[in-house]
Amino acid sequence: MDASEREQYRAAIHGDREAFEMIIRTHSRTLFAIAYGILQNREEAEDVVQDSLVKAWKTRWRVRDPEKFPAWLCTIARHRAHDMARKRRPVPFPHETLETSETKTAHTTAIDQQLHSALAALPELHRAALTLRYFEEQDYRSIENALGLTNGALRGILGRALASLRKQLRPALASLD
Amino acid sequence: MTTIHDEIDNWLAADLHGELSENERSVLHTHLVDCATCRKTHQETKTMNKILEETLAQEKPDLRFEHRMLSRFRSRIPQRSGLVKSLVDLMRLRPVQITAVAAILLALIQVGRMITGERATMLRGREGYANEEVFRQQRSQVASGVGRAGGLDKSDELAAGRSQDLALKATPSSLPASRPDFHEDAKTLSTTVAPAKMAQPEATEVLRRSASPENFARAEVAEQKPAEAPAPASANRKLIRNATVQLEIVSFDDAVQKITAFANEEHGYVATTNSEKQANGKLRGEVVVKVLPENLDRLLQKLRGLGELKNQTLGTEDVTKAYFDTDARLKNAHVMEQRLIDMLNVKTGKVADLLQVEKELGRVREEIEKMQGDLKYWDSQVQFATVTIALAEKDMEEPAAFLLKERAQLSLYAPDVEKIYNDIKALASPKVRITNAQLNRDYSGRVSATISMLIAPEESDAVIGRVKGFGRVENFQMQTQRIAQGGSGISENAKTKRDKVELNITISRDEQEQALQQTSLRIRTSSVDEKAKELRTLAEKQGGRVRSSTFNRDPDGRELAKVWLRVPMKNYFSLIQSLNSLGKVENVSVQRQNRTDAQIDEANAPADVSIQVYSQGNIISYKTGLFPTLRRTLTQSAGAIMWSLRMIGVAIAFLAPWVIAIIVIVWIAKRVIRARR
Repeated sequence: MDASEREQYRAAIHGDREAFEMIIRTHSRTLFAIAYGILQNREEAEDVVQDSLVKAWKTRWRVRDPEKFPAWLCTIARHRAHDMARKRRPVPFPHETLETSETKTAHTTAIDQQLHSALAALPELHRAALTLRYFEEQDYRSIENALGLTNGALRGILGRALASLRKQLRPALASLD
Repeated sequence: MTTIHDEIDNWLAADLHGELSENERSVLHTHLVDCATCRKTHQETKTMNKILEETLAQEKPDLRFEHRMLSRFRSRIPQRSGLVKSLVDLMRLRPVQITAVAAILLALIQVGRMITGERATMLRGREGYANEEVFRQQRSQVASGVGRAGGLDKSDELAAGRSQDLALKATPSSLPASRPDFHEDAKTLSTTVAPAKMAQPEATEVLRRSASPENFARAEVAEQKPAEAPAPASANRKLIRNATVQLEIVSFDDAVQKITAFANEEHGYVATTNSEKQANGKLRGEVVVKVLPENLDRLLQKLRGLGELKNQTLGTEDVTKAYFDTDARLKNAHVMEQRLIDMLNVKTGKVADLLQVEKELGRVREEIEKMQGDLKYWDSQVQFATVTIALAEKDMEEPAAFLLKERAQLSLYAPDVEKIYNDIKALASPKVRITNAQLNRDYSGRVSATISMLIAPEESDAVIGRVKGFGRVENFQMQTQRIAQGGSGISENAKTKRDKVELNITISRDEQEQALQQTSLRIRTSSVDEKAKELRTLAEKQGGRVRSSTFNRDPDGRELAKVWLRVPMKNYFSLIQSLNSLGKVENVSVQRQNRTDAQIDEANAPADVSIQVYSQGNIISYKTGLFPTLRRTLTQSAGAIMWSLRMIGVAIAFLAPWVIAIIVIVWIAKRVIRARR
């Protein structure tokens, strides 16, 4: 973390709105990735990001160390997303909406469908790590920071996530090849 | 030790994500070359990665995402207005917070100091201001003074030079503007001090020193000169002199004659004389002499020769100021009067106005008269000094006569209070005067009486003797007092007179008389009731009286009779002897009060005997035994349980409100938290 970033976080903590808006610009995609990873629903994920930002603004004085500001933001988003996931009663099937809205070949759609259900079967943390990786192409370091993991743990999580997806999609993959 | 083969998933993922180090990658590739299974997995994972990249790319937020987030954030958290925002932002800064806390603490300390009355530092600051203020005044005086002084004498310009310079800068009546350039002056004067604020007091000092010794003093003289137009001569002062002298002389009349002679010698006169004759024939009085003030001292000298000087004061009152003030006011009033008279003479204007003028005239004249009176009074006071001489003849305190007062106190005990009360009242005659007679009967039937009488001295012994015969005398006290009349001390030739004797009598029934001797004893016998009756007859034989008796029998068959007897002392021993016939006498205790003071008739004095006649009764109570004990135990434990129940109730009554309050608060807090979410 360089000095200017640090300064930006510090200013945001002390109530500098412009600094905070800058942080919104740079970090909201990460937050979205986390929220989406947990919720698998874009609208809900957006709401979660929004709520998290407002909450972060209101409680920014709680952060003592400016370096921990981004991690803290991610934690808020994760908790909000968890709350949201707990609140909604039956898990809606996001791929159904996708199916109706998008016109694609039957084959791709089938793989999509399978992928989504396989994703839904993964633990939330694994999904979050995956989305962070595949949405924003973030390097492991950033993901570790955002989710509060060690390098080894993250490697394990991503490896296991990929493996389990691979196993579930093996028939479809075979046909694709 | 885990091998690459075991963790191939992690290795492959990291490889695909480009997160393997150079070393790790070569290790992985070596393994892939060796292991067919892992090669297959590698292929599948690659495909999986591709699919994920493709699929999830669709789910990525659109380009307007950040913008949307920002605008929604702005709408949800509106910008605060300038002042509040800056204040709130300011309060978030740590240094500002520390400063604020420090300021609050300081303020508290200041308040505390003010309350406890210590000198606060603020006051010191204000003092500095005051100093400056004074200094400014001085400066202006110096300026004007120098202006004048410069005109008055030009020979001493060297001394006045510096302050004159100052004056030139500030003179043209521009006092408010003079402050800043005063600072400059101050700086030029004091070369040592640099910062202006620190310089203020010192600069004041410097300037004062330079200004005060010659210039300032002279300036004041110059100012005073025109003010003191009519310089008063000391001869013209109005002084009132007066003196008081206290003398003890042998003969009052001689002294007054001598004083009159002295007064004439000193061109004065005796203003007033008064005298008073005491009961012992001595004279005391006061002489007021008026004398010319200049002769006062001589007169006082002469007065000392008259007798023993007890006390002398000499006072002078200066009424010059009041006198001349009144004089000036009188002149003004005269002018005012004249103008009012003129107004009346012109006789124009309304009647009401004229009346007003008339009224005013009346008031002014009244004032004039009052002032004239004051002036005249002062004139007379000033013209003559007043000497007040208090004279007292020697042995003033000698008593004229002595009075012998006798007071007697008599307590009587008798069986019939009312009869004796009436008998004593019947003694009343011209020589025996009853001043107070009172018969009291309280709710329990006890009767007592008090009688006070005054008896002519020659009759007193006879009357007291007769009264003593009415009953048993318990207490008789006689008190004699010698009272000096018309003075104090001892006198050889004073007469002694016997006054009326005051006699206070208290009559009570002999029941109430305290027994001389109190005895208590127990008699054990088998038939209590019978023996108690026997006891009564025995007591009556010995001239005793049963005062009260009780009898009770308890459930265990124990009987107890208590009898209180009163017998005359002379029969006491035979009674005690005879008690032995009733049963076994136990626990005899005797208490006797020996009264040293009283002339008491011991043979007839009452002795109280309290006797308990008792029987042993059944050995075992029907209440002891297994079942009654069991029942009692159960009852007691039931009682204990009920009591603890009651205590629990009390505890609940204490705690319940708090518990309810806490529950309600927690409930509300939960609701609030949920509502926030």
